[in-house]
Amino acid sequence: MNRRLEHLAGRVAGAPDFLASALAEYARSEQLADAALAARLGCTAETLTHLRLCRMPRGQAPLFWQDVAKIAGRFSVDADLVAEIARRGQSLMNLRKVEDGRIQEPGFLLAARDDGREEKPPEGAP
Amino acid sequence: MSGSPARPPTQEAALVVHQRLVAEDPTAANDVAAAYLEALVAWLGETDARAPEDLRIEAAEDAILALIRNPSSYSAGLQTLEVYLRMSARGDLRNRLAKEQRRQTGRTPWSSVELSPDAGKYLGRFDDPATSLRVAEEKKSIGDAIPESVRGRLSETDLRALQLILENERRTSVYADLYGLQHLSAKEQRIKVKRNKDRLKMVLKRAGGKA
Repeated sequence: MNRRLEHLAGRVAGAPDFLASALAEYARSEQLADAALAARLGCTAETLTHLRLCRMPRGQAPLFWQDVAKIAGRFSVDADLVAEIARRGQSLMNLRKVEDGRIQEPGFLLAARDDGREEKPPEGAP
Repeated sequence: MSGSPARPPTQEAALVVHQRLVAEDPTAANDVAAAYLEALVAWLGETDARAPEDLRIEAAEDAILALIRNPSSYSAGLQTLEVYLRMSARGDLRNRLAKEQRRQTGRTPWSSVELSPDAGKYLGRFDDPATSLRVAEEKKSIGDAIPESVRGRLSETDLRALQLILENERRTSVYADLYGLQHLSAKEQRIKVKRNKDRLKMVLKRAGGKA
């Protein structure tokens, strides 16, 4: 277990551009500790650290699935679960911003739901 | 993938991972951190042993994160990725030390040359991720002063040193950083830096450039 990487992964747990933040939000929402989160992903604690240090999949649908597939393929984890974690994590982060008063646009939640419906995997995507 | 190597990858491997960063491969960030973080922290431990360990770790992380978030800040033609990250981390460490100093004393940061505002992260001029057009033009003009015949014969580190010479950079510490001489005494650093600078000036002179 690399403590330097773990430290860095902890540091970016609140950074929306790293998967670490989505994993943290997902784990909170599912009340999962690290070991349970790794178990759900079917990976080791070490791989979980590496996953945390990946960039957040890009928002646009084709790129989102491309990034998810790359992350899932590289670390041998389920692509659908990575996608779910990334989406839910981002939604929860946005909700938190709304709660904190950082986003005030009334159409925000509707837009977030629309995004979720539109982002279907392209043909052949895992 | 069982932990970071203490030794960073070759420049060839570094260019591959850098290209993946530029191409927005989401897994490249992890690979850069895994490849360089441990080595950077170790290097700062050798060169800035008096700095608190937590600041050294954070500075190394700062440098890695800055590269991940702005990969185009690194130009492969100027220096190796390892050297770039070292300079960046050292600058970040100085900034953090100055900030810590301010926090503790409530005074303006240390007035020594070592920690003057000029000694901050982007002292290397080419390191600033927000390099302005003006600076880019200056770089081009300086680069133009190095004849093509010389470029092909020099290593990236030498080329970078040559550019610093042409910019009238005089501080030994900057060249010592570049050549990885920080572990030597100040006197030895001066000698080796001078030797390298003299050699480069001679190369440039023989090629008909201006030094």
